[in-house]
Amino acid sequence: METDIKSEAFRKFLEASESIMNPEVRAWKDQGRGVVGFFCSTVPEELFTAAGLLPFRMRGTGSTSTELSDAYFSPINCSFPRHTFNQALRGEYDFLDGLVCINSCDHVRRIYDNWIRALKTPFVQVMSLPRKVGEPQIDWYYDELNILRGQLEEHFGVQLTDQRIAEAIGLQNQVRGLQKQLYLLRKADKPPITGAETLAVMVAGTAMPKQRYKELLTELLEELGEKQGSRDYRARLMLLGGELDDPAYIEIIEKQGGLVVTDSSCFGSRLMWASVDEAEPDPIRALARYYIHDRPSCPRMYGLQPQRIAFTREMAREFRVDGIIGERLLFCDQWVVENYMTELDLKEDEIPFMALDREYILSGEGQLRTRVQAFLETLEARGN
Amino acid sequence: MIVGGVDVGSATGKAVVMKDGEIIGSDMIAATTRPQETARLVMEAAVRQAGLSSIDHLDNIIGTGYGRLKVPFAQENVSEISCHARGAHWLAPSTRTVVDIGGQDCKVISVSEKGTVLNFAMNDRCAAGTGRFFEAMARVLYCGLEGISALENQGEEPCIISNQCSVFAESEVVTLVNEGTELPSIIAGINISVASRLHSMVRRVGLVEDLVLTGGCSKNDGLARALAAKLDIKIERLPQDPQLAGAVGAALIAAEKAG
Repeated sequence: METDIKSEAFRKFLEASESIMNPEVRAWKDQGRGVVGFFCSTVPEELFTAAGLLPFRMRGTGSTSTELSDAYFSPINCSFPRHTFNQALRGEYDFLDGLVCINSCDHVRRIYDNWIRALKTPFVQVMSLPRKVGEPQIDWYYDELNILRGQLEEHFGVQLTDQRIAEAIGLQNQVRGLQKQLYLLRKADKPPITGAETLAVMVAGTAMPKQRYKELLTELLEELGEKQGSRDYRARLMLLGGELDDPAYIEIIEKQGGLVVTDSSCFGSRLMWASVDEAEPDPIRALARYYIHDRPSCPRMYGLQPQRIAFTREMAREFRVDGIIGERLLFCDQWVVENYMTELDLKEDEIPFMALDREYILSGEGQLRTRVQAFLETLEARGN
Repeated sequence: MIVGGVDVGSATGKAVVMKDGEIIGSDMIAATTRPQETARLVMEAAVRQAGLSSIDHLDNIIGTGYGRLKVPFAQENVSEISCHARGAHWLAPSTRTVVDIGGQDCKVISVSEKGTVLNFAMNDRCAAGTGRFFEAMARVLYCGLEGISALENQGEEPCIISNQCSVFAESEVVTLVNEGTELPSIIAGINISVASRLHSMVRRVGLVEDLVLTGGCSKNDGLARALAAKLDIKIERLPQDPQLAGAVGAALIAAEKAG
């Protein structure tokens, strides 16, 4: 990635986002400490942190093909699980001491079955995420979290006291606060950090010990506080979508002149726009409420489209967005419907919207450039 | 003021030279494996046609098409989507929808009264609805692309080609050939199959007439008829070579930017 951010902290973030195993994870492992992988931003990573484990969000970074995992998945499965599972079959995830899967969608859910059949990770669990977001579903997830808590205690021989969980929540909330500060810097006319760089920072947050990440992010914010970025962009864009962990994808958009100033994505703002309620005396109850109800939702959750479009509108207004790009992994039925509804809703606000389908690994750069360039040209034609 | 537009596509390179709002030179060549070379060769030919001695005489040049980043003598590049919209609108001002059927993709572009892009859909994930699809079919029919245009025009009952994937459609066509089906019927079926693909894209963007066709495949009358039948409209043919529309649009934008 081309970048003019000079700090050592950012270099470490970039390195973590561009690889699976990074020096911070290696150092952690060298101290004899455990790492637990997890899929989807609805898995409460606070529980792993509380258990003294490093939560690692699963990705297929570095994958170039799916020849091993294609034996387990069908051709109409999303390329995210296929590439990520292929990396696991290649041994890239052998460092994991545990893995927690979830039914965030059927494609990702299937990874659990394939994983326990093909791989020898010592601790593998699957959680059940409800689809609705009312009180009964919060109760359901509360039970799920307590089950996971018991499984972690038993397998890793730790005591997950309320106190420890509350501390982990406190730490994660601090991280969320810092990440939000980073986003708010992008409201400026000359944001000190690009969308691609921001995604690298966000992805790194799911691939490092939390305390260490917090310290590095604090350093980065200090540096960025004095930096001015470029005003040399054609439009301010917002990115909307699900699983997007590759800064290079945003870099292509930004090289066309569309500066990504904010997003609603699950490696982006949805991870941290809200925080867990620390006043709630039962920390597991607080986590259940946060993950099911309080955080900005994705189309996986039923009945919240009006809130999602309100969030998108508010983001677009606050960050003075000229246009919105909805990215979607091919075969994702959750996002195809969401993008359709979003486009209709945004017409009312006269906010231009473009839906882009993509594969998990970066491909078809030329076509992506053409689409983005044409979109930017339409934004400019509106302005004239 | 003399300006130029060069459209370096996947299959052909197109160039147009304009003086004071009129086309004074144009040319088209098969693409080489080096886009810089394609751009230079075709632009030089168009410049010669315009009676000029060198590309340097042009006041401004815009590059477009897949090779647009590799046009060394262009001052700027603009996406082919904007260029086709602009070019088609200039050639036929009543144009509100452009269906551009090129070598490796097809696009449906909704055009404003001013010739700017309102919305677009683009198929670039596979060969369905593109020149590559026709090339693949021409290969298994041993008739060449010209043959596809020529042989269609005989009023036979069209075959049904259900696959839009060029690889599977090829297998279907081979089956039909081996069953002894006449070529004109197969070709009519191929045109209908491509028109189906384009039809769904037009529906997605929203049909507003007049609709015009641009790009190399738009010269295939059978395809134009099949699409007109599916959409139940009259498709207006452009007064000049529709394959040049992108380059014309690029030249118009070059003139505008040069002020």
